[in-house]
Amino acid sequence: MKAFSGYHPLTLLIYFLSVLMTAMFLWNPVIQLEALLGAGLFAAMLQNGKETAGDILFYIPLFIMAALANPLFSHNGVTILFFMNGNPVTAEAFIYGIALAVTLIAVLLWCKCYSIIMSSDKFIYLFGRAIPKLSLVLSMALRFVPLFKRRFHKVRKAQRAMGMYSSKSYTDRLKGTLLTFSAVTSWSLENAMETSASMKARGYGLAGRSNFSIFRFAPHDFLLLAFNVLLMLGTLMGAAFGELEFYYYPQISGSSLSVPGLLAYVCFGVLTLLPFIIELKEKILWKYFISKI
Amino acid sequence: MEKMETKRAKKFNTVSFLVLCIAVPVIVIGGAWIFKDRQYAWITLCVAVLACVPFFLLFEKKEADGRVLVTVAVMCALSVAGRVLFAPVPGFKPVTAMVIITAMYFGSEAGFVTGAFSALVSNFYFGQGPWTPFQMFVWGLIGFVSGLCGSWLKKNRVFLTVFGIISGVVFSLVMDIWTVLWADGIFNVTRYAAAVISSVQFIIIYAVSNVVFLFFPGKQIGRMLERIKTKYMG
Repeated sequence: MKAFSGYHPLTLLIYFLSVLMTAMFLWNPVIQLEALLGAGLFAAMLQNGKETAGDILFYIPLFIMAALANPLFSHNGVTILFFMNGNPVTAEAFIYGIALAVTLIAVLLWCKCYSIIMSSDKFIYLFGRAIPKLSLVLSMALRFVPLFKRRFHKVRKAQRAMGMYSSKSYTDRLKGTLLTFSAVTSWSLENAMETSASMKARGYGLAGRSNFSIFRFAPHDFLLLAFNVLLMLGTLMGAAFGELEFYYYPQISGSSLSVPGLLAYVCFGVLTLLPFIIELKEKILWKYFISKI
Repeated sequence: MEKMETKRAKKFNTVSFLVLCIAVPVIVIGGAWIFKDRQYAWITLCVAVLACVPFFLLFEKKEADGRVLVTVAVMCALSVAGRVLFAPVPGFKPVTAMVIITAMYFGSEAGFVTGAFSALVSNFYFGQGPWTPFQMFVWGLIGFVSGLCGSWLKKNRVFLTVFGIISGVVFSLVMDIWTVLWADGIFNVTRYAAAVISSVQFIIIYAVSNVVFLFFPGKQIGRMLERIKTKYMG
């Protein structure tokens, strides 16, 4: 159980949306770096060392590729470093590529944390009341995916045992897979009719449907939500006043540091570090209690 | 008891209507004002999300039969699980074809939901990201349109082939538009061209696999859906 995932789904959804939107659309180097730092620390907290190492190995080549690709597409900028195939390669385009890579990885990491924290039952809890039929379809589809995967393997094994489609040629593999697919489809569709008959017999569609997981909006949820809204206001105020404007082209230039700008940086920095702090606090508490016993 | 429920539902409807009328414009316009140099990307994302809403509400209002709901869930799950099954056959993804088949037999609303939810569910496995709303909308729209021309698609094989190719190509082309808008703030033609050219082989495999799928298991799956409809939903 992660400390941050103990919060109410609504609080969590609003938190992730505000951080993701800001990280994605507010192109200011400080904000971008803050988003990356917060996401990296949070992801490291949620995963074990091996997974984190795997992530780093995956993201570093991605970073280099995204950063180096930009000067090939974009020839804006005034500081020409050298010419390639008659096209200028500029320092601005290079720096813009780095900024692009930072934002890309920050967004990917935040999405990863979102997937770990916002499990599908939280998602369905949030939308189940407003769109009951759609969330039923969603929760059933989510449950069917692993079930159908198992069925695929069963049918595949049976086919192999009969010696069908066991050669390695492309057409043979394709034929075998297509046959497996339609076998599982007919099996599953027939099964679905039984499911829906059973649903009807158990009173699906009547009032008073309850949820699989029950979440209560506790005081600490309200606290986090209020904090979140305040920090977002601080960040967006800075952006709205134009204090966070930053241009990469034609020449790197930004608005000079002012009080609202600084406030926005601090607010967003705190906002992105919140989950890390919450997880860290939980870990320290856990350690502390163990050593006492 | 039931009356109370409907009263509450009505109240909920009015509130959500007001929220939609006030909050949506504030968010869209406010966002465009705050995110100055990324306003095109922001508005496009908002449009993709908002455009899904009416289709979802249509489905929510219309489908009362639990059997249709389960069938749609099965088709979504099959297309997602199919992505795993077809992993040893590179470039072969059944999602678009499954969406088209479902829409042909169960109508455009069910088609939209199958498309959108296939995207959403498969991203629970392959990773959610800013691309999720676009995938949802494009696949949903492919489902909706194929539901509208369902009877032609069933009758005319040439039309079905062309439709399969076009939907495969359109899906890839639309996904790149947003990437470019977001990376540059404006529509950078060079970057878009580079993105499309680098993915041209995937686009071709994708379009061809759509057609193959629509004809071979597609026909059988169509018969199964037809059978279920006549046997259980007549």
